[in-house]
Amino acid sequence: MGRSQLRFLALVGAVLMVVAACGSTSSGPAAKQVKVGLVTDVGGLNDKSFNHLAYVGLQKAIADFHVKGDVTESKTGDDYVPNLTSYASKNYDLVIGVGFLMQEAVGKVSGSFPNVHFAIIDGAGTDASGKDLQHSNVESLFFKEQDAGAMVGVIAGMLEKDKKAPGNTNVISAVGGVSIPPVNHYIAGYKWAATMEDPGIKVLVGYSNDFTDPAKCKSIAQSQIGAKSEILFQVAGGCGLGVLQAAGSAKVYSIGVDADQKDADASVIASALKKVDQATYTAIKNVVNNQFKSGALTFSISNDGAGYSLDNIQLPADIQAELDRVQAAIKAGSMTPPADIPA
Amino acid sequence: MSVITDILQLLLTANLWQVALVSAVLLLLPALGGVISERSGVVNIAMEGMMLTGAFFAVWADLIWHSPWIAVLVAMVAGGLMALIHAVVSIRFRADQIVSGIAINIFAAGLTVFLVRAIYGLQDVGHVVPAEALPNWDVPVLSAIPFIGQVVFQQNVVVYIALILLVVVEIVLFRTRLGLRIRAVGEHPQAADTAGLNVYLIRYGAVITSGLLSGLAGAFLAIGVSNTFVPNMTDGRGYIALAAMIFGKWTPRGAFVACIIFGLGEAIYANNSTIHVSQYLLSMLPYLITLVVLAGLVGRSTPPAADGIPYAAGSE
Repeated sequence: MGRSQLRFLALVGAVLMVVAACGSTSSGPAAKQVKVGLVTDVGGLNDKSFNHLAYVGLQKAIADFHVKGDVTESKTGDDYVPNLTSYASKNYDLVIGVGFLMQEAVGKVSGSFPNVHFAIIDGAGTDASGKDLQHSNVESLFFKEQDAGAMVGVIAGMLEKDKKAPGNTNVISAVGGVSIPPVNHYIAGYKWAATMEDPGIKVLVGYSNDFTDPAKCKSIAQSQIGAKSEILFQVAGGCGLGVLQAAGSAKVYSIGVDADQKDADASVIASALKKVDQATYTAIKNVVNNQFKSGALTFSISNDGAGYSLDNIQLPADIQAELDRVQAAIKAGSMTPPADIPA
Repeated sequence: MSVITDILQLLLTANLWQVALVSAVLLLLPALGGVISERSGVVNIAMEGMMLTGAFFAVWADLIWHSPWIAVLVAMVAGGLMALIHAVVSIRFRADQIVSGIAINIFAAGLTVFLVRAIYGLQDVGHVVPAEALPNWDVPVLSAIPFIGQVVFQQNVVVYIALILLVVVEIVLFRTRLGLRIRAVGEHPQAADTAGLNVYLIRYGAVITSGLLSGLAGAFLAIGVSNTFVPNMTDGRGYIALAAMIFGKWTPRGAFVACIIFGLGEAIYANNSTIHVSQYLLSMLPYLITLVVLAGLVGRSTPPAADGIPYAAGSE
């Protein structure tokens, strides 16, 4: 059995899965129905993170606008181009790529299909060197993750300053998946805000180089807890579940990412939110209303595209007041969390 | 040079070795399975898929029956069934064993995602509460020994089971009649057949055992370490176990040494928030050590003579 046959088998498997996942596609007026194709990155729809949220946004758009929505999950990085091409060549009105990892694929396919609209979460359509090709049919959906990171950073910094943390060691930490912009934005905001609230605080930053293996992130979290960290911020998707769990068994605090992770572990005191569902919904809405615009569309705390949730903790009134103050200041533009991790 | 002193200091902490042993055991169990399977003459690269299947079914069973031990049993059966597919395809139908292994790995990745979707929809799979996870157990008296006590005797129960299995497999393979038979079948099946051994039965047994061990490793990963299931969470451990088996010259003790080296590398890497060197450089460490040791110390590694060759009674 050759390589091509193996690929064929994998393709058949992928098709079956898509069929299983898309049983609920609704039908609207057949004549002018807008068709939307969503391609996930390797994280897949169960990542409890941005792929999942993009799917939620698509479902909402299907319900509200009666668009036809289809989903393809990518198994490997080699699938991005064929998966995007498959929708584009069938004249879908909007093809959405989910995730920074798909930048180059979106750049390539959008060049080949200038009449199809593309949207990409967390990135732009780029060439191999990462340079934005600025195709007029590509809409980039960016997030200011640093806004969300800053809000949870305020919580961590204030807890340390107020001596309300588990051991008052004045050490907190973050576990990133891979050192890429969307991950580092979160950590940048977190460190910046924690240091602003408590200048003496020590912020450890580690990376797992992985988004799917909780055991890896757990060892990193354990090493940070060994170095006295007592509030751990996970920015590593499925891998990061190991951070929440390590914090739980060591009786210290943890902070979730992207979606509200309150239920993942009792140690989760807050989550930094990135509303990919809203971004996906907006991108589809723009196409439905003929308002598609190429270039960057940024979601931040100002347009409610980023934020935080309070989870398994009762915050003292002064911390809540500080959160409200910082949130208002970022919205007003008088405070700007950095995109790069401060030294 | 502060990086080197950082790492040397780290090597003196019991915490590091404790984490390293857990990482090593996650590789050791599938590696032992691989040793048994390949010693009997069946190439097995499907440990990754069998482990992943075990991981999923461990979480599934634990969430239903709230018992880690039932979950372990279910995971081992699931791993064993995947191995049975490999055994039937490669022993009964004499198919290419590499291709069968690849197919099982791809199948397991698809199957587990499909089952997650079918059973849990797009929701989180759910989390095993610590009380229903595989427990840690401090061995009385021994766990009080300084350093060694923390590293070896304050561990998850599966770590003890794996270390016992290591000794058992080593003894069975090289000190018992059964082990002699397994090795005979892997070296020269025609001669073994002539001598009255049932080549097929022994190979089936060996391959299924590798599935049971990989399933146990999956259960340990899912409900001992991670307490949840994430698609593709095995993250290549089955393949690294394969490398450890070859590195260890198809012996349990050799594979164990390799697993410790890999585990130690992973544990050192996990400290990348406090060691100030590029995390990419640090992540290369276990593989760099492997290359050096493999080239410098291990030397030539020869598989069993009939490894990968399907046996047909009466053929040359």
